[in-house]
Amino acid sequence: MSDAVTLSLAARPDHVLLADCIAADRFAGLDAKEIAELPVMHGGRPATLGEFFTIRGGHSSVVRIEGDVPQMAAIGAGMAGGELTIDGSVGRDLGLAMSGGRIDVRGPAGDNAGGARPGAARGMTGGEIIVRGNVGDEAGARMRRGIIAVTGDGGRGTGIGMIAGTVVVFGKAGPGAGRFLKRGSIVALGPIDRPGTFRYACTYRPPHVGLLLRYLRGRAGVEVAERYVAGRYERYSGDLAELGKGEILRWVGE
Amino acid sequence: MKINGVAIADTFAEAFTMRVARIVITGRTAKWAREAAVKLTGFATSVIGCKCEAGIERELTPAETPDGRPGISVLFLTMDKESLPQQLIVRLGQTVLTCPTTACFDGLPDAPDRLAVGKALRVFGDGFQASKVIGGKRYWRLPVMEGEFLVEETFGMLKGVGGGNFLILADDADDALAAAEAAVDAMTSLSGVILPFPGGVVRSGSKVGSKRYKNMVATTNDPFDPTLRAITQSQLPDGVNSVLEIVLDGTDAPSIEAAMRAGIPAACRPGVNTITAANFGGKLGPHHFHLRKILG
Repeated sequence: MSDAVTLSLAARPDHVLLADCIAADRFAGLDAKEIAELPVMHGGRPATLGEFFTIRGGHSSVVRIEGDVPQMAAIGAGMAGGELTIDGSVGRDLGLAMSGGRIDVRGPAGDNAGGARPGAARGMTGGEIIVRGNVGDEAGARMRRGIIAVTGDGGRGTGIGMIAGTVVVFGKAGPGAGRFLKRGSIVALGPIDRPGTFRYACTYRPPHVGLLLRYLRGRAGVEVAERYVAGRYERYSGDLAELGKGEILRWVGE
Repeated sequence: MKINGVAIADTFAEAFTMRVARIVITGRTAKWAREAAVKLTGFATSVIGCKCEAGIERELTPAETPDGRPGISVLFLTMDKESLPQQLIVRLGQTVLTCPTTACFDGLPDAPDRLAVGKALRVFGDGFQASKVIGGKRYWRLPVMEGEFLVEETFGMLKGVGGGNFLILADDADDALAAAEAAVDAMTSLSGVILPFPGGVVRSGSKVGSKRYKNMVATTNDPFDPTLRAITQSQLPDGVNSVLEIVLDGTDAPSIEAAMRAGIPAACRPGVNTITAANFGGKLGPHHFHLRKILG
């Protein structure tokens, strides 16, 4: 048993590397050899994780991936606990349908972070994803519970079809954010292209936003300016084409 | 044993096991957190008549509260675990929920026994309420006319201690009051302890039952009433003309001992004759706070 499992990029993949075997809680029961033998799909062909990574440590639910891995998809898929840190960029489907634990990306992430598997009704159902950079399209799509925090910009359709949970975008949220949202919150600290099916409710200081931002600052080490923690937000209810119990909270000042 | 010439009686305070919750109330300013806390802890001096005992434990700085706003920590005690959530739901709903700008958090997050207080309060939202899970804790957002009231879903419950006490026997009422005030000042803001009575002081200490009225649970403590010295079996030394009591409730016995260790010497002032304590012969309460042992 070690303090952490570290995966160091040894051979850069030539194609998309589908690595849905990487999940912090799953590694808690495996040693380095067993982790290296986990199956991945490289350009549609079967391979093993050990062909691309040098693995140190084992039997730990604290996992660190060293290096930029923008071609790696589905890291943290179905993860139910533990901590997974990626020291660089990562590809699409990060934390796909995860239910617990925390994924911390020290760089940009691809499309569908925290989203649903193809055809599935629900995306992530718990846990936290922190992306310290921009995120691709449809982050948090159909998420049911949990937190996604993006310190950069969000792509198109951020939080599309959300059932519940919270997505915080520090930068610009792309077009279609929150479309078809049933419940849940999109907290926009920067500009947001708000769908027309959201209706303005009021401008106030939502107490849970301050609590959430303080949590991200304290527990996850995300830099959050005090003006956001104690600030005023416009509340837009929506999506009124759906259940309408969700919200977009747009920061408007201190 | 004497402190500053004041006799410390060779006796003990007898206290009971109660159930305790710690409520953290925050507000936009310290004033509004305190307003809510004062209302919440009003009419909560004794379980005899109020069904609960509560008091302000201490003020909290913004750095100490979950939402980074000024706060107040309140301890809330009842005799059994069934009545604690009942009292909290009623009182939080009528005092903290109603108070502008406040939010309400659990102050005993590590307590395994959880009371679904916020979960019960959520229905005030009439279906418009929403919840958020942050850091593994669920919070309820209740829409109110001002904006939103945020309350944690569950609150921790521990076995606490109620009824720690000491009595200040003084030459006159002014001396008794001055000593009691000094004791309260010394004990205020100590962690894990509240003084549930007005200003922390009780003038109407009671004995169990009644000599005359069958239905009375508690009546005047006539052995310590100076006006009855001539017609009862008084326990007052000569020269004592006024007695005040300090009652302490807390999260555990060491917290109460620490408070008594701070409060009793502060009460040993000119004009005070004796410090003693109330007990029932050791047969009713499992917690015995021996004055001389605590101060020794």
